[in-house]
Order: sequence, then structure tokens, then C-alpha cells
Amino acid sequence: MILGFDTGARTLPEAEHLLHTVARELGLPGDAVGCTHFVPAGPAGEEPHVACSLAVPGPVTPPPAATSWALGDARTGPLAAGAALAAAEHADRRGGRIVTFPGRDLLTGTLSAGELRSGSAIDRVLVLASPDPPADDVLIVTNEHVRPVWRDGLMTLLTMPAAGGRLAPAEVPNPTPCCADHT
Amino acid sequence: MSHGHHHHHEHGHEHGHDHVHEDLGDNEAAPARDLSIPDGELPPGQLSRRRMFRRAGLLGAGLTAAGVLGGQGQAAAATTPGNEGRGREPRDGYQWLAGDHHIHTQYSSDGIYRVIDQVRHGNAYGLGWMVITDHGGATHAKIGVDKVNPDIVAARESVKDTLVFQGLEWNIPAAEHGTVFVAPGRGEVETLKEFENSFDGSVKGASSNTPQNEALAIAGLNFLADAVRKRRIPDALFLANHPSRKGIDSPHEIRGWRDAQPSIAVGMEGAPGHQAAGIPKPNGPGGGRGIYDSNPGPDSFPGYPAESYKTFGGFDWMTATVGGLWDSLLAEGKPWWITANSDAHWVHADTSDRGPNSDFNANGRYEDPIYKGVANFGSGDFWPGYYSRTHVGAEDFSYRAVMDGLRAGRVWVDHGGLISALVVRARAAGAGQRGVTLGDTLHVRRGARVELAIEITLAGRPNWAQFVPALARVDVIQGDVTGPAADKDAFTTPSTKVVKSFEVGRNSGTVTFTYQLGAVDRPVYVRLRGTDGKRGAPGLLGAAVDPNGPQIDVYGDADPWNDLWFYSNPIWVLPRR
Repeated sequence: MILGFDTGARTLPEAEHLLHTVARELGLPGDAVGCTHFVPAGPAGEEPHVACSLAVPGPVTPPPAATSWALGDARTGPLAAGAALAAAEHADRRGGRIVTFPGRDLLTGTLSAGELRSGSAIDRVLVLASPDPPADDVLIVTNEHVRPVWRDGLMTLLTMPAAGGRLAPAEVPNPTPCCADHT
Repeated sequence: MSHGHHHHHEHGHEHGHDHVHEDLGDNEAAPARDLSIPDGELPPGQLSRRRMFRRAGLLGAGLTAAGVLGGQGQAAAATTPGNEGRGREPRDGYQWLAGDHHIHTQYSSDGIYRVIDQVRHGNAYGLGWMVITDHGGATHAKIGVDKVNPDIVAARESVKDTLVFQGLEWNIPAAEHGTVFVAPGRGEVETLKEFENSFDGSVKGASSNTPQNEALAIAGLNFLADAVRKRRIPDALFLANHPSRKGIDSPHEIRGWRDAQPSIAVGMEGAPGHQAAGIPKPNGPGGGRGIYDSNPGPDSFPGYPAESYKTFGGFDWMTATVGGLWDSLLAEGKPWWITANSDAHWVHADTSDRGPNSDFNANGRYEDPIYKGVANFGSGDFWPGYYSRTHVGAEDFSYRAVMDGLRAGRVWVDHGGLISALVVRARAAGAGQRGVTLGDTLHVRRGARVELAIEITLAGRPNWAQFVPALARVDVIQGDVTGPAADKDAFTTPSTKVVKSFEVGRNSGTVTFTYQLGAVDRPVYVRLRGTDGKRGAPGLLGAAVDPNGPQIDVYGDADPWNDLWFYSNPIWVLPRR
């Protein structure tokens, strides 16, 4: 089953933190598939935000950290709609960004595309602006930050050209923050 | 009532202010508002009035208000360019003034330099106009927007041959950053300050992508238009900056800005600044060119592909994709121009450091920079004018003329000094006409044969990286004008593609080409793109659309000097029905 939950997180790091907290409190293994999902602005002026989903072995009691959740037909909390959206995207493998997954801890340093696929749950590697997937021996610099996405029902890692003829995940670990003066 | 007689001497180059007190019902102004009379046939006084009306949004003047399909377009304005400025030789009747509308100073929380530092560099690197755009925000709104003004006024005094506008980098509610700038005058500071306090996304806590915040952005543009109409300020412009960086400028927001105030919201950065950010370590930051290193977030438009977060040949995805978002806007027949700027905060390999004992929050600025003696290779910016240039065809050397040229789309952009000059004319083939230039509309008899005459002055001298760039190829891009988009979130248009390529392979002298559009039986637009030919790949919409387009930039290894492009803004060709 897929548990969706939503606390209205406004950033991906905040949502990832929540994802880890809930997985830990549920006693799930570290490689339980967990994702982040974007929830658009709501009709009552709710801000767009990030909800989460986790694959759970069966009916569970969501911990208090998951203030709004959806599991099967059950719904709880003010952001249950976002939680349900997350659970549905994950269940259908049609949307969401995957944070935890089998093999994730092994994806460090530089690996070939073939090693990356055979050593983890990642089904497919694609290269931005390229019609063809990379050859199995093309090296991918993981930057210890591998976040595949659900696309076409497949756990897909999007990569981009990087220095030295290698590839790197298209998602950069620490994007430059918006440089505006927020003081 | 003031007649605005040179209330600031930095206006001294102008021919004089418009003394328009008539409203549109005044008979004296009748020729000015009669759009069947082309600009070029108006007596000077009436032309001046017409410009005033246009700026004030009082005229539904062809292009700027209704789009090319909405009314008679403007004919090419007759000009009498002055010799002020940098001694620039007029070309095609205009002084082509290179400029940059995106520059930060010590009044930005992530800046370092004095205004005069930026202006002296920009001037030395050949810029005729610059806009100081420190970040909007609480501290800037409270302190910086006031304090920077005397520095700008002093820079205007000491560097006479570069025009220095005051603006700010607006945190557009619900969207990215944008340049907002005004023409100099008594109201420039108070108007910018009120604008920032009322409509900045950071000041107002309005950054998230909600319909309410989107509406606040439109209200901000309406405020600027109103300030011009009420003559609080002589003029104002808005351009969207690094539009694809975070995916948060949705297509409908861009259309919304443009359609709400077409005389204010005139375009976007075709190429972002920070062009040194992809220089590999240890000689550069080793990041994404343009500091395009972001990924989709909750405020991003979900329809944008992952490619949109990257640059292509240093240009933003919206512009670099033939048949993509920019073309989908142009295909509506409405103006939306592109620019290229430095976004200079902290210059690559510069040896200075922020002034010691700075307290930005208390003072609204950092203390003056000091010599540190250690080259900062972690910075990804070039000085204004050093690499990115926005060339504006101005009728004279004045603040007003630069803003008018930008608004008219008489603009082309280049990187690394790829070419020196570009003259483009669309005209009826073989009729001996002069035709119209960039941003303008050629009206022809239906079925008339039309040609595009292109004259390019090649680099001819070393750029600031000490080589003479060679132009390898010029591409003509053409698309159908099909009217307002039914889907406000559309970001492709089916008919636009590269229709002709000219091989050049030279770096000095002048080359001329003529592209025959053939018999034009429907509204179309054409635009140009050129390259040094060092990197290329089929376009994102396929080789049939763009066989040799810009290639996605390599993260951590993008030498900006070995991947140079120029882009022109479009010319429309409109057959009479």
C-alpha cells in the first residue's frame, strides 16, 4: 500500500526530512520507496507545496508527524487532498520524485550507467536533450545525490552532460538559493 | 504646471521634453493619434506627441498595444541621430547602443561593488547604457532604493557617455526576478520605492505561486503604467530575468504581464547573466552556465520539461528552443523582446573583497570594496559589457531613445563580441524600398514577394578574451503568426523553424545575405541567429525544426568563450487582407 501524507512543506528538503521522520517512526527499512510530490495552489488560497508518499507493507497507523494523511480510502487532516494526490501518483507510478529506494545507499561516487541500474531499483537512465539513453559504460558522477522520478511507469534517473565526458544527475544537490534580499 | 525643462541635466542630450497637455480629444493632437499616418510622415511636433501617447498607453498603437494582427503597425521612424554618445557611427539610421539592464552593486545583499565601479567597467567595455538593478527586498525598500540614487546621479555626471538608469530587480510576485527601471526624473526614487514597497514579492511575502500573488504582479505593472500616465515618471519598462531558471515563470504569467501592460512589460532575458559560472574548476565555479542549477519545486509550472532548467549555448531554454516558448509568444503577433545581460554581482577572478565592518541590514549597503589580492575563481559573473550585450537601435543618445528602442524591439544581442553590427531589413523584393527593421512590421500586398536583407559587420577585432571571434553560420528562423493563443500555457508553436542557413566562416569585414521569403500570403515573422559553430546539436523539437541549434551546456565544463551566439528580435511581415 501507499501512504500519502502532507504537512504543507514549502521546500523539497523540508519534505525529505518529513519523509525520513515518518519512515523511521513507522519502523520501515531505509530502502522503502518514498517520494515527494508537488501539490498545486488550492482554491482557498493554499500555497503550492510538497507532499510525501511511502510504500508500506500493509495498513499502518500514521505517526503524529504525518498531520494529514491518506491510506487506501482513509483520509485524515486538513491537507488530506494533497496526501491522497501523493499516494495516487506513487501508486500509479506516474508522478513524484523518489528519495528512498532499494540500492540508494550504494549510489555514491562515480558509477557506470549499467552499474547504477543493476545495483538499484532505478529502471532507466535518460540524458536531457538526448533522444537515446546512455550506453551502459557511460560514467555517472552521483554527487551522492540521486533522485529519480516516476515517468512512464518507470523509475527514471534524468541526467545531464557533466565535465570529463561524464553524466551527472540533472538534479543538482544544493541549488543556488534565490539571491534576493530576504532580510 | 511644469513643462519639464531639463529638470535633470542628465537629460541634456535630449531634444526636449514632450509638452503634451492635450488629451486625446484635443484637435491639435489629431495627426498624432491618426494611425493611418505613419510615424515617418508626421511633423516632428506630432511625432513627439504620438510618442508621448504611446508611452502613456493612450494610443492603441499597432504593435505595442494590439499586436500586429490588431491594427496598422508603425512605419519605420525617420530619424536624425545625433553625434553624442560614444562617437558611434549611426547604422541604418540608428545609433546602436550596447547595454545591460541587469547589474548589482553594494546595495544588494549578495553584491559588492560601488555603482561607479560597475559604470566605469561597463563604459570601458563599450556600453552606452546600463541599468542598476539591486534586489528588491525589505532592506532595499527601506534604505537602498534611496541611498543608491546619489551614487547613480554622480555616475551620470562623471561618465557622460554611458547612460545610467536606476531600476531594481523586482521579485515578481508568484514568479522570478525581473528588471524594472524608469527614466530619470524627479519621481524616479519615490516611484520605485512605492512600487517596491507595494509589489515586491519578498517585501510582501508573495513569492508562492498562487492566483492572488499572480494578480499582485499584474497590479504592479498597472501601477507602473499609471505612474507614467500621471507623469510621475517619464517612462518605465519591465523585463523578466532568467525566466526558465526555476520554472516559476509559467507561460500564462508571461502572457499575462505582456497583455496587461504591453508598453511596460516588453520582454525577457534571452540569455541570463552569470555566463562564467560553467567555467571548470579550479579556474571557475564549475557549476551550471548562467547559474542554472535548479530543479522543479512546488511553485514551478508542472508542464515544463526537465531541459527547461538548463541553458543551451548560454541561452535560456525559452529562447534557445526554436518553436519553443518565445516563438509561441511571437506567433501571437505580439511583441516580446529578448535581451542579454551580465547580472554582475561579483566578477569572475576579481581580486577585491567586500568592505570590512559592513552591516548590510543596518546600512542597506556593504562598505566599499577593498583589495584582497586573491582571485575569486568561485564567481561566475562578467563585468557589464565584457561578454553579454544588448544592442538597441536608438534614435539619439538619450534615456528616452534607449527606452523607446527597447520598447520597439529594435534590439539584437550577442555574446563575446561575436559580431560588431547587424543591419536587417524586410522589404518587398526588388521594389527598391528601404523596408523595416527589427521589431517592426512590414505591410505588403497579399502575395507580394518579400525579402530579408542582412548585413553583418564581423568582429574585426579581439574581444575581451583576446581573440577575434569568427562567425561560422547565420540561421533565418521563420514562423506563422496565428493570433492570440487559445491556451495561455502553450509553449510551442508548430510552424516555426530554421528556413535558411548561410555559412560565413570569417571574422572580419562585412557580409551580406538576402533571404527570399517568397510570396507572402499569410502573416509571418522572421528572426536571426548566428553562431561561432563550436558547439551544436539538433533542436529540442527535432532536426526538422532546427538541425544545428545550440547544445545543452555541460554542467561544470562550459567555456563561455568557445560557444558564442547572437540572436536578433523578429520582424513581422503582414499581408493586407
